[in-house]
Amino acid sequence: MRRHALRTVGMLALAGFILLPLAQVILLSFISTLPREGIATGSPTLMNFANIFRTERLAESLVNSTIYVSLNVALSIAVALPAAYAFSRYRFRGDRAAFFVLLAFRVTPPVVLSLPVFLLFSKVGLLNTPIGVALVHCVFNVPIAIWILESFISAVPREFDETAFLDGHSLPGFMVRYLIPVIAPGIGAAAFFCFMFSWVEVVFARTLTITDGKPITTAITSLFTFQTDIGLVMAMTTLSLLPGLAMIWFVRNHISRGFTVRV
Amino acid sequence: MTPRDNRAWLLVAPAMLVLAFVGAIPLAINGWHSLFDIFTLQEKYWVGTEWYRALLFSPRLYESLGRSLGFSAAVIAVQFPLGVAIALMLPKAGPVRSLGLVLLAVPLLVPWNMIPAIWLSFINPDSGLLGRAIAATGFVFDWKFTAWHTWALLIAMDTWHWVGLVAILACSGLAGIAPGYYQAAAIDQASRWQVFRHIELPRLAGVLLMALLLRFMDSFMIYTEAFGINAGGPNDRTAFLSLDLGEEIKAFNYGPAAARSVVYFLITLVIVWGFARAMQRNRDPGGSA
Repeated sequence: MRRHALRTVGMLALAGFILLPLAQVILLSFISTLPREGIATGSPTLMNFANIFRTERLAESLVNSTIYVSLNVALSIAVALPAAYAFSRYRFRGDRAAFFVLLAFRVTPPVVLSLPVFLLFSKVGLLNTPIGVALVHCVFNVPIAIWILESFISAVPREFDETAFLDGHSLPGFMVRYLIPVIAPGIGAAAFFCFMFSWVEVVFARTLTITDGKPITTAITSLFTFQTDIGLVMAMTTLSLLPGLAMIWFVRNHISRGFTVRV
Repeated sequence: MTPRDNRAWLLVAPAMLVLAFVGAIPLAINGWHSLFDIFTLQEKYWVGTEWYRALLFSPRLYESLGRSLGFSAAVIAVQFPLGVAIALMLPKAGPVRSLGLVLLAVPLLVPWNMIPAIWLSFINPDSGLLGRAIAATGFVFDWKFTAWHTWALLIAMDTWHWVGLVAILACSGLAGIAPGYYQAAAIDQASRWQVFRHIELPRLAGVLLMALLLRFMDSFMIYTEAFGINAGGPNDRTAFLSLDLGEEIKAFNYGPAAARSVVYFLITLVIVWGFARAMQRNRDPGGSA
C-alpha cells in the first residue's frame, strides 16, 4: 500500500518536472508578447500560429525539415537493414572493428565534422539541398538504426530464415517478403529514433543550408532579434513537437525494446 | 553457433560507404587542413605541427577539458540514479507505462537550439513559471553572473532534456529480465534492494554502459544548449571544449579549427575504445557478470 502511494507521488513528480517547462512554451505560444495595434500585450490569442503561416520562411522551414528528415529515415533504414542482418546472423573478419567504427561515428560531435563536411559538400554540389542534410545525419543515425534492427532480428529464430531459403527465396526476396513484416515494430522503433535525432540536430543542418533549404532550427534562431516576438518563437516550437509526438504514439510499445547491445 | 562467412561484408558495405563519405573523408580533410595556415582554400601555407603545438601547450585547453569532464560527471551522477529509478517505478505493462514512456521521450523531440530558449523563459523572474516561484521565495537566481547558478541551470536543463533516454534504455534492459528470476527471488524472500542489486543491476549493465557512452559523449561535447544559456560565461566558467571549437569555426580560423577537431576526435576515439573494451568484458561469460 505504501509502495503504491510512493509510486503515485513519483509519477506525479516526474510528470511535473517534464511538463512544466513545456507548459511555459504552450502558454506563451497563445499569448501576444509584442506591443501591437488592436491587441494588448499579454492577452490570449491565436495570432502567433496564424503568423507562422503568414511568414513564408517559417512555413517553408517546416517543409524543408520534413523533407530531409524523411529522406534520412528512409536512407538510414535502407542501408542499416542488411548490415543489421549481417551482424545478427554471421561472424566475419573484422566484425568487432566494424562495431567499433559504428560506435565512434555515433558519438563524434557534429561540430568536429561540420567544417570539412561543408567543404566536401560544396565541392560535390550538396549544399543548400535537403539531400545533403539527410546524408550527413546518417553519420549518427545509421549506427543507431543498425543496433536497434540487429536486436530485433536476433529475436527471430534462425530457422525462420532457413525455411525461407529452403523454399527457394533469395536473400533480398526473403528480407522484403518475410523479414521486414516480422520485425516491423523494430523498423518503427529505428525510424522513430532516426527521426528524432535528425529533427533536433542543429549544427549540421545550419552549416549546410546557407541560401536555401533552411531547417526549422535556423528559422527559429532567426526570430531572435533585439525585439524578439517570444510568442511566435514558442508557437513555432510547439508546432515542431507535433510530428514527433505523433510518431511516438505509433511506436510507444516498441521504443523501450531493441537496445540490447552486442559487441 | 553463429556461422563464419566473410561475404557478410557485402551486406555491411552500403552502410560503411555512407559513413566513409560523411565521416571518414571529412576527417581526412580535417587532418590535411590542420597542417596549413589557410587564408583561402587556394592560398594556404604549410605550417606542419604548429597548430597542434599551440593547442597542446595552451592552458585553456586543459581548463576547458577539466570543465567538460566536470560537467559530464555531474550530469551522469544526476541522470543515472534518476533514470534507473524512473524505469523501476514505471509499471511493467499497461496504459500508465505507455504514457510514461511517451512523456519521457517528449523533451528528446525539442530542437536543440530551443532547449536553452525554453529554460530561459521558464526561469524568467517576471514571466517564467519557475522564475516567479523562485522570486517569491526571496532567492535571487543570478544565472548570468554567478557561476554556480549557471552550472545548476545547465545541469537541470540537461537532466530535463536527457533523463528520458537513460530511463527508456533502462526500461529496455529491465523488460529483458525473465520472470523466473523474480519468482526465485520471491521464494528466497529477497528484499527489494537485494532484487535490485543481484538480479536487476547485473542484467542492466549492458544497456547502461551504452547509455553511459551516449550521455558521456553528448555532455562532454555539449555545444548548442550550453552556448544558448550563457555563451560560456560568466567569465568563461562554463566554457566547455566544443565552445572553443565553435568560436574558431565562426572566426574562420580553418587551420587551428581543423587541428582542434583532430585532437577532439582522437579524444573521442580513446573514450569509445575504453567503452568498447568494457562492453566486451561485460559480455564475456568469464567476466563477473
